[in-house]
Amino acid sequence: MDKVMVEFIQSLRQQGMRVSTAETLDAMRAIPLVGYNDRAMLKLALSCCLVKTLPDQVLFDQCFDQFFQVPDSRPARTDKAEPKTLWKAFGRKPTQTLLPQSELGQLLLNSTGAELELKLAQAAKASQLSQMKSISQRGLFGHKMMISLGMGGLDQEIRLNQNGSSQQESLARALTQAKADLQQDIKSYVDRQFLTSTKGIHRQLREAVLMETRIDQLPAQDEAMNLVRKLAKKLAAAHSRRRKVPQYGQLDIQKTLRNNMAYDGVILQTHWRQKKIERPRLWVICDVSGSVRPYAGFLLMFLYCLNDVLSQVRAFAFSSDLVEVTEWFERLPLPQAMQQTLQQAGQGSTDYGQTLTSFHQQHLNTLDHRTTVIILGDGRNNFSDPKCNLLQDIHGRAGQVLWLNPEDKRRWGSGDSEMLRYQAYCSQTVACHNLQQLERFISGLLRYNH
Amino acid sequence: MDNPALIQSGLAQQHYICNEATAMTLYLALKLEKPILVEGPPGVGKTELAKAMAAVLKRSMIRLQCYEGLDEAKALYEWKYGKQLLYTQILKDKLNELLGSGENFEQTLSHLHKVKDIFYSPDFLEPRPLLAALQTEQPCVLLIDEIDKADHEFESLLLELLADFQISVPEIGTMTALHKPLVLLTSNNNRELSDALKRRCLHLYLPFPTIELESAIIEHRVPGIKAQLRQQLVKFVHELRQFDLKKQPAISETLDWARTLLLLQTDELTPETTLATLNVLLKHQEDIHQVEDQLMPLFKALDQHKN
Repeated sequence: MDKVMVEFIQSLRQQGMRVSTAETLDAMRAIPLVGYNDRAMLKLALSCCLVKTLPDQVLFDQCFDQFFQVPDSRPARTDKAEPKTLWKAFGRKPTQTLLPQSELGQLLLNSTGAELELKLAQAAKASQLSQMKSISQRGLFGHKMMISLGMGGLDQEIRLNQNGSSQQESLARALTQAKADLQQDIKSYVDRQFLTSTKGIHRQLREAVLMETRIDQLPAQDEAMNLVRKLAKKLAAAHSRRRKVPQYGQLDIQKTLRNNMAYDGVILQTHWRQKKIERPRLWVICDVSGSVRPYAGFLLMFLYCLNDVLSQVRAFAFSSDLVEVTEWFERLPLPQAMQQTLQQAGQGSTDYGQTLTSFHQQHLNTLDHRTTVIILGDGRNNFSDPKCNLLQDIHGRAGQVLWLNPEDKRRWGSGDSEMLRYQAYCSQTVACHNLQQLERFISGLLRYNH
Repeated sequence: MDNPALIQSGLAQQHYICNEATAMTLYLALKLEKPILVEGPPGVGKTELAKAMAAVLKRSMIRLQCYEGLDEAKALYEWKYGKQLLYTQILKDKLNELLGSGENFEQTLSHLHKVKDIFYSPDFLEPRPLLAALQTEQPCVLLIDEIDKADHEFESLLLELLADFQISVPEIGTMTALHKPLVLLTSNNNRELSDALKRRCLHLYLPFPTIELESAIIEHRVPGIKAQLRQQLVKFVHELRQFDLKKQPAISETLDWARTLLLLQTDELTPETTLATLNVLLKHQEDIHQVEDQLMPLFKALDQHKN
């Protein structure tokens, strides 16, 4: 049964649940306490060992129902822990003398559904069902499972009993019927396992692909958004450590003396100097004109998912002039916030000069050495005045100015791109056109200590 | 406590009505000796569960209320500095005696080395709730309330206790539990708890109860109330939870309301009595205003439900 549990946990993991080895061991220890006979109890017990969040509960329920599914054709099986009553179909009970001799026959006619399910899982393991690559192989794997369950013995027994006494014949008939049912069960078992396992694989594959797709080419927005949330959560967890690090070695004399006054100046408790780690304050200026639009959405979403570890985020959007959009992103769900932003700021042709002028006038005095200014844009200014000196001012006041450019570095400076001129006044310029690069960039941002 | 059903009925005797999942989690926690992390909205009886469980198991309960800034000196143990200082003063003469007997400097030192490190011994240790829970003569129930209010560091501090039921005191060594306590941690989900903590606990989510469960709870807790009124008020509260409220009425509020209605000798729920007692159920003025406006349609809907 251990193998079955491991496979079950494997499929939970493939669905995206985090199940650690320690939790697996807990589940293993819990099982003997409740037994296999009561499906509902088993489910409860496993769920309290393995499920740690509310969303996971939904996943778990689905996965459990799918994995330990009771075949539809005979729904009464696992629910009732009494031997199967196939005999009823033949109108009379068997006489004790004629019990099936083969192992599989005994299993089919006498065991509970749970035991059979267990045997199926073991057979699946033996015939390496998890290696199945395409749905066209299901006949082959089904056959392998039948053989591993002991098909040969059963066939022989049926043949032996076929032309004997009436009792023998009824046994043969019962066995034939049971065999047909079993074949049906195996077929649906194989299908189910195939679907459950490949769904998980697809998911991992898909995420890897999504990470490397250009952001403006991302197909299903929902999926990409979930991925961003997941990435953000990971980053937040990694960076939400404590904000003060004591520096052992440097005594904070004032504090130590003050706190030890009560002990007559005898130094019993020591206090050490602490280093503060500050959360970055971010001022984000996003180009929301046509081509750069999707990038702005993802950047802002990423940053607002990181609210816990950033002390303050202010967002501005522009195409020809600057609009502050902080409030919408704080209050509204992302799609609405983005829509609102586009309505207010998405008109007109890109004008970096005008944008920098507005920012310089209105927000320059809010900048200090703890502020990081992030500009997202392609730097294509339609051949108007880039006003680099304003960016220089901003760079002078802010802690750092970072520029994210969705274009490849090779194309910077070509045509109307002012990127090379702006680059001189940025602490760092980064080419960023997929989620992987975006994650790397933001991770670096959080690690930045002043 | 050999099966979940026994726990469920035991809790019922303590007037705590729970569902199967809760009983199963408690059962496994006792058998596997694992802590339980109880999550759920405020007022669904997370703390009450620990109290009831202590009563069922006839154990004492030790409670640690978490808050921002809680540290090991307040949660684990502290040295009795005052006592240490006092004893040094008292023992000063003894010390002189001891040191004086030596012939030379080296002998004095060796005399001194022979003396055990008496000031950092268990006698000078002030146990705080977590250490106290490990040292009780009889097994106890340890409730770590509102763990989400404490800082991240405090979670890490708990890991050793939760995993191995032991606490390491650098000066003394590892102190292992005499009897493993049943540990319950509660959280209102103010912030996400770390995976490391979750991994060490069984997880129990207590949602708002179903109508039947809540009705049963009221029956146990407020025995004097009439069945018809009970049904009505539970349905009303369930309707209220569909509203977009600042603070949803929880079981504790429902119980308060039931007691209020009993005190007012109400036989049937009417819009008038509801209006007069709405402040028992809702704790924010905005919420009360919102519900006041919707009261008539709400009652109509309830009546139709009945018919």
